[in-house]
Amino acid sequence: MPKKYETPLLDELEKGPFPSFVTEIKKAAARSDMAADELGQLEKSYRDKRGYWKHGGIVGVRGYGSGIIGRYSSLREQFPNVANFHTVRINSTSAFFYTSQFLKEMCDIWDQYGSGLTNLHGSTGDLVLLGTNTENLEPIFAEFSSRGWDLGGSGSAMRTLSCCVGPARCEWSNINTLDINYNLTQEFQDEMHRPAFPYKFKIKTAGCAVDCIASIARADLSIIGTWKGKIAVDQSEVANYAKKGMNITEEIVNMCPTKCMSYDGSKLTINDADCNRCMHCIAKMTKALKPTGEKGATILMGSKAPFVIGATLSWVIVPFMKLEEPYDELKDLIRKMWEFWDEHGKNRERIGELVIRKGMREFLEFIGVEPVPQQVKEPRRDPFFFWTEADLQK
Amino acid sequence: MEKAEVAQKIYELVEKSIGKKKLKSSDIQKQISADCGISRDEVKEALKDLVDEGKLIYTYFGGSFVEIPPKE
Amino acid sequence: MSAPQRRTDIGPPHYKDFLPPVIQKNYGDWKYHEVLNAGVMVHVANSGDKIWSVRVASPRLLSTDTIRDMADMAEKYCGGYIRFTTRNNVEFLVSDEKNLTPLQNELKAKKYMMGGIGSRISNIVHTQGWVHCHSACTDASGLVKVLMDEFADYFTTKETPNKVRLAVACCVNMCGAVHCSDIAVVAIHRKVPVVVDHDKVKNMCEVPSTIAACPTGAISPDPAKKSVKVNADKCMYCGNCFTVCPPMEIHDPENDGVAIVVGGKVGNLRSNPKFSKLAVPFIKNNPPRWPEVVTVVKKILDAYLADAKKHERVGEWIERIGWEKFFKVTGLPFTFQHIDDFTIARETFRTAATFKW
Repeated sequence: MPKKYETPLLDELEKGPFPSFVTEIKKAAARSDMAADELGQLEKSYRDKRGYWKHGGIVGVRGYGSGIIGRYSSLREQFPNVANFHTVRINSTSAFFYTSQFLKEMCDIWDQYGSGLTNLHGSTGDLVLLGTNTENLEPIFAEFSSRGWDLGGSGSAMRTLSCCVGPARCEWSNINTLDINYNLTQEFQDEMHRPAFPYKFKIKTAGCAVDCIASIARADLSIIGTWKGKIAVDQSEVANYAKKGMNITEEIVNMCPTKCMSYDGSKLTINDADCNRCMHCIAKMTKALKPTGEKGATILMGSKAPFVIGATLSWVIVPFMKLEEPYDELKDLIRKMWEFWDEHGKNRERIGELVIRKGMREFLEFIGVEPVPQQVKEPRRDPFFFWTEADLQK
Repeated sequence: MEKAEVAQKIYELVEKSIGKKKLKSSDIQKQISADCGISRDEVKEALKDLVDEGKLIYTYFGGSFVEIPPKE
Repeated sequence: MSAPQRRTDIGPPHYKDFLPPVIQKNYGDWKYHEVLNAGVMVHVANSGDKIWSVRVASPRLLSTDTIRDMADMAEKYCGGYIRFTTRNNVEFLVSDEKNLTPLQNELKAKKYMMGGIGSRISNIVHTQGWVHCHSACTDASGLVKVLMDEFADYFTTKETPNKVRLAVACCVNMCGAVHCSDIAVVAIHRKVPVVVDHDKVKNMCEVPSTIAACPTGAISPDPAKKSVKVNADKCMYCGNCFTVCPPMEIHDPENDGVAIVVGGKVGNLRSNPKFSKLAVPFIKNNPPRWPEVVTVVKKILDAYLADAKKHERVGEWIERIGWEKFFKVTGLPFTFQHIDDFTIARETFRTAATFKW
């Protein structure tokens, strides 16, 4: 029987309607010594208002430098069963679709070799197995990989990719997000498992500008589906929305950022040439409006959390790229980006930080992309700019 | 150059840098390919073998590095 | 029992093996969807086929017991098919309409919380916190729990003018899109890191990476001690140095706490994606239920609910009324901490004579 800790503070978090993580830890703690000590240490954190974990290290599975994150309690005397409490990242499926059969097998393996605690999912999108000791790592990897599952990314590597639900269950997707996600993951297995980059590299794919996967805010490479063509209008469905109480002038026309729409009380007209494809009208009137024409994606780069230069949102490098299997143009672009980063990046410098440090020109010339106004919000406003000898000859 | 020979060079480079500078995989690839006049892919292959055999391991602390595993 | 044969570099299994037959059949051919209620939506394909998604809340940290229970229900009602959302909700994928009510009944009986679809407060994206992270200066799971308890009605029934995306980050490393959320809680330090044992720095840390980790150039070498020193006037307590050099102890239970940031979004609808901006610079950590944080978030949410137009996100509402008005209607005090003095500060100064009283 695992040790039972008194947890008066954490017990307060079992009250209220929202499902409780404390209840989850307690369920696992009824069976697992590791989960029991996790619970005990967490109660102490709540009492002392501080964490007690140490990070980093050398644990992993043979041949890989990625997928396992060493975690150690700084209170190993008091909580010996979490002295080693490592994270295992399993590469999730595209758009997080699972079968009950897999989930049950996963639970059986994890109950045998780990704490019984998981994160579905970690922030990057891994299926996270939360806490096991060093000698269980190889058996866990053998159990998963023999069933067709592999580890995800960690450290200075390509991280586990993620994508929105896309064409699997959404009418707005302009690209095959699940397939791009899967295909790139398979293409770059070495880059995921054997860290050789200056720092982490994240790729996220969204089917449209609604960006349900938040690719523009948290990916070194953000792929966002879009189209070149008209928005087809089904006027009878427009009438239905009006009939059901939608104030089309107020909610649709007046909220259009480009003012490219008008509504005369019966007919909705769109000046497609002025549309910037923000998705507001389509998202609100999904039965009435449909993008048509050529489908593809806008490729952006560089978003990340604040360290070191302040948070960034991704910026456009290629305004439109057709994305069809085998995605060679995209793969070539990614390899070029990595080459630039490999050549110039410092340890722990994200690729976006590098491009800001070196300048967009050097980067764009390296990857072979021409300057176009779609890459900037506005042209520079300072008079300090470079001329190369070649520029002078033009 | 034989793969085993490249592996030996890699191991020596990692050994030599102990206590001075932790090497990233890319540092090793650049250095050895320049020293031996071989492609980076060849260095990568030899490095992969060394890690598969457990002679070298990846470590991570403020970035990912390649090091000699600690003696038990 | 010996372990099975391991394989490397195989990647995840093909996604098609996990898609319900109705999705495989209508892949990329969906016509529209309708939100039937906070917890159920239906997607209709051009073929006329339908799939219903029943969404329930999850604390993200799940025991194998709960996952097995969900898997059982997926087997019973969904042919075994289930998925998770970006915001850690669980979606039961129902292909047969007659299973819809029994599934909801069982979920209700087992006290699962259905909801989060449409213009509502969905699940809170969050980080690891004291549960498992070395650099946490608050507990993310605890804050999520108390905030979602408070706003449960906005998950299960009540509507908001547009989606309200909440996030909690347990340090400024911000795993997750905290920096672009409608309302987010981010934990911060307020004291300069202290090196107690310089020998540890010598043994554990690379001096150049430690110096490079500092966004404000506050760290310099200390050759005499073969260590580093911190210029207290420059330090902004981000804690990045601690991550690369753990002897630079920055945790301080009395001075650590959380800031509240507001007005960010990631979608491009109507207006461009935006960063969240500072609303409240500091609230003390008060576990287990952080009542002061709940009060402030509620105050901001209430002001938004009272004043925003339909479809306006929090950031769009604030931009329409102006930040000066935001501080007025919420009653939140404006302090020196609100005026940026990091590298991008001048972009935020008001360079016009137009503002509201």
